[in-house]
Amino acid sequence: MTLLTVDKLSVDFGRGATALHAVRDLSFCVAEGETLCIVGESGCGKSMTSLAIMDLLPRIARRSVAGMTMGETDLTRPGGIRAVRGNQMAMIFQEPMTALNPAFPIGDQMTEAYIHHSGATPAAARARAIEMLNEVGIASPEKRLGQYPHQLSGGLRQRVMIAMALMTSPKLLIADEPTTALDVTIQAQILRLLRDLQKRLGIAIIFITHDLGLVSRIADRVVVMYAGTRVEEGNVAEIFDNPRHPYTRALIDCIPQPGKTERGAMLGTIPGVVPAMIGDVRGCAFRTRCALATAGCEGVIPTHGTGSHQWVCLHETTLQEGTT
Amino acid sequence: MLIYLSKRLGLSVLVALFASILAFSLLRLQGNAASALAGEGARPEDIALIIQTYGLDRPLVVQYLSWLGDVLQGDFGTSYFFRSPVADLILAKVGNTVILALASLSIALCLAIPLGVLAAVYSGTWIDRICVLISLMGQALPSFFLALCLIMVFAIKLRWLPASGDASWRHFVLPALTLGYYITPPFMRLVRAGMIDALGNDYVRTARAKGLPGYRVVTKHALRNALVPVVGLVAVQLGLLIGGSVVIESIFALDGLGYLAYQSIGYRDFPVLQAVVLLLAVVYVVLVLLADLVNAWIDPRLRVS
Amino acid sequence: MTDLSPPATPGRYSWSRIKEHPSLVIGGGMVLLIVLMAVFAPVIAPHDPLAQNITARTIPPVWYENGSWEHILGTDQLGRDYLSRLIYGARVSLFIGFAAVSIAGVIGTVLGLLGGYFGGRIDSFVTFVTTIRLSLPVILVALAVVAVFGGSITIVVIVLGLLKWDRFAVVIRATTAQIARLDYIRSAQAAGASTFYILTREVLPNLTPQLIVIATIEIASAILMEAALSFLGLGVQPPTPSWGLMISEAKAYMFFSFWLIAIPGLALATLVFAINMAGDGLRDLISPDRRG
Repeated sequence: MTLLTVDKLSVDFGRGATALHAVRDLSFCVAEGETLCIVGESGCGKSMTSLAIMDLLPRIARRSVAGMTMGETDLTRPGGIRAVRGNQMAMIFQEPMTALNPAFPIGDQMTEAYIHHSGATPAAARARAIEMLNEVGIASPEKRLGQYPHQLSGGLRQRVMIAMALMTSPKLLIADEPTTALDVTIQAQILRLLRDLQKRLGIAIIFITHDLGLVSRIADRVVVMYAGTRVEEGNVAEIFDNPRHPYTRALIDCIPQPGKTERGAMLGTIPGVVPAMIGDVRGCAFRTRCALATAGCEGVIPTHGTGSHQWVCLHETTLQEGTT
Repeated sequence: MLIYLSKRLGLSVLVALFASILAFSLLRLQGNAASALAGEGARPEDIALIIQTYGLDRPLVVQYLSWLGDVLQGDFGTSYFFRSPVADLILAKVGNTVILALASLSIALCLAIPLGVLAAVYSGTWIDRICVLISLMGQALPSFFLALCLIMVFAIKLRWLPASGDASWRHFVLPALTLGYYITPPFMRLVRAGMIDALGNDYVRTARAKGLPGYRVVTKHALRNALVPVVGLVAVQLGLLIGGSVVIESIFALDGLGYLAYQSIGYRDFPVLQAVVLLLAVVYVVLVLLADLVNAWIDPRLRVS
Repeated sequence: MTDLSPPATPGRYSWSRIKEHPSLVIGGGMVLLIVLMAVFAPVIAPHDPLAQNITARTIPPVWYENGSWEHILGTDQLGRDYLSRLIYGARVSLFIGFAAVSIAGVIGTVLGLLGGYFGGRIDSFVTFVTTIRLSLPVILVALAVVAVFGGSITIVVIVLGLLKWDRFAVVIRATTAQIARLDYIRSAQAAGASTFYILTREVLPNLTPQLIVIATIEIASAILMEAALSFLGLGVQPPTPSWGLMISEAKAYMFFSFWLIAIPGLALATLVFAINMAGDGLRDLISPDRRG
């Protein structure tokens, strides 16, 4: 069953000819209990997408969306997002070091929203917080509740963030690069924890990352974003075994794959940087870095594929031949 | 923590000591204290008597040390003009000044925190601009001019409040309003800047992501952290208020420390003046120390060091 | 953290950039007008500011019923033309403001440079001296000194100059400490440049924006302080026209001739408002990233 539907989401900064289009006409949906990875380079608008869903965009950003629903709730209405945010839909962030308020103990920060949403007593909220800390594998949770964020390590803080997000038993967890700021070993632990929690609690996860290596380990479905727009979408096998968009292919070529990547061989790189989408944007945004670019790429780009696997590219046939 | 505290205490004592030396020598730089005391047209033998009585012929260092020795024993000397112990004088007047300072500070904070928060939450909009304009105007109005305007309106025209004296709480209303408005702008600016800073923090985004209502996010998560620098300013301003109420206390003839200091300046009443300057320096260093302790309480990260 | 402004690029402070900051244009324009008025006081003032006329005492300004165009802002209790006194009063305010802050700026900058650049004991000393200065009640000390040495423009300038350097020292010390760690200072040190050369040629020019901003704040504050001292009778002495003194002299006539207080009061407020507004604009121009 579909949990979250996002239809034609755009996020702009400024107006007119100098407007920066951070997200352009992005549509996707998340089913209950699945993990959707949104993947792309820095600056491709993936974080803005997550903030736009939660209605947490900075004030200078403008969001426009044709439709956005979570279950039965219309998220485009102010009352809708208020009912859902922090309750059915929770979020964890990239920087566990700064995402917790330094002035309050962990326990206070974990329970305040729970009390607000559920009307529980402080004692009940505390019991719930201890339960959740146990859930995310934090030892002696009673002691942790009285501690301040600066007394915890980065990995612990991210666990606390996850526990905090799970307090209200959300149906959807948005994780915006939750492991990027952590050490590799801690990264693996947090990833395992998320996967494990998802299995046990049946929550859907939107996992936002720039790291395609992580995607293969956690995702059910994948949306590949480039310059604010979706270039390819499919389930994880389709994306990794049969990438159709040249950008997806290039991304995959950038990950070393044990057994496949030859020792001493060059890993792929994508020349250039993501262009800033300023003013009137048309055609395929990737054409400036694409080896297959032709004059036609400046025009209208068709969407190919049926069912779960879709991609947005002019060169359907060329790429199919190139993929082996 | 204990080492840190004792170090800070030692430094504070040293600062107060040097401040008193400065004040002492400044006042004695000009040698005609005795003739000023004796008044115009005094006979030379009167002046000689004064010099002898107060020991003004001794070297400055000796005078200072003997004064300091007395001070350390709680003896601040005797006022030249009021002919009574300086300590008694100060004790009698300090209450009025403290009441005035606390009242003005409360007024300032009651104005500055809501306005600063409002300006920060709506930063860049016309609400922000109006708040900034209020603060700019507050900074520009000379306090004594504002005092006279308030007297004109509330004491002379409307006859609601007394223009001078300190007999009842009503006497404190106009002076406290004047001083309160006068010190509001720096607080407002600090709260505004701190709030803009705090509202941009990740933890504020987390609080919003948790679904907390907007006012809770602002008043709990952002304000708490925005108030850290305000505590320091409270200490500084309270020190300035206690010392800087000279002008306002004189206008409203409010018999406090500032008025006493103003009078003692007029009468060249050095023992009083020295004691007041020393007291204010001590008050300042103590307040700054207190502010640091309060900050450590507000910001748990500071507690460790 | 953002105190360090990005390296100056050509046209960074050009007119087109300045135009984007209305508070700088309006405030700066007002300040410029008042400065011009003060400079050309002898040309503009309709009367001698000191000439008394016993027969024409406390004539109200022209917009009152019995006012006249002869004395646009009326006359004071000694029959002196109020507009002329107001125009000459701007000279006193501006001169004391600029002169006192120049002295304070030199003291504060030198202390701040030394403390920030050398660190260690010198820095502790600078911090200590600054703390002592902060612990002294400015108005009280200024009043006492003026009382001992007698009031005059020179004394007021010196006293305020010796008392108002704290903000310069604090800000310059912090900024210098930041700059001293930067690579180009390190390379100048490595190249064997003398400390004096580094401080004056490499560090100081980078402090100019901060210096200008603090100077505007301090000039406004010094002008208000002069007014307060003169108001208490322990600043500029009569018959010099100082706005603070004018308010003080008019106090006794407040009930019947409130304009005698209102006019110099509003003049002071306008000048200080304009300077602060220009200062705000300057700060925005210099460090745009600090705007909210």
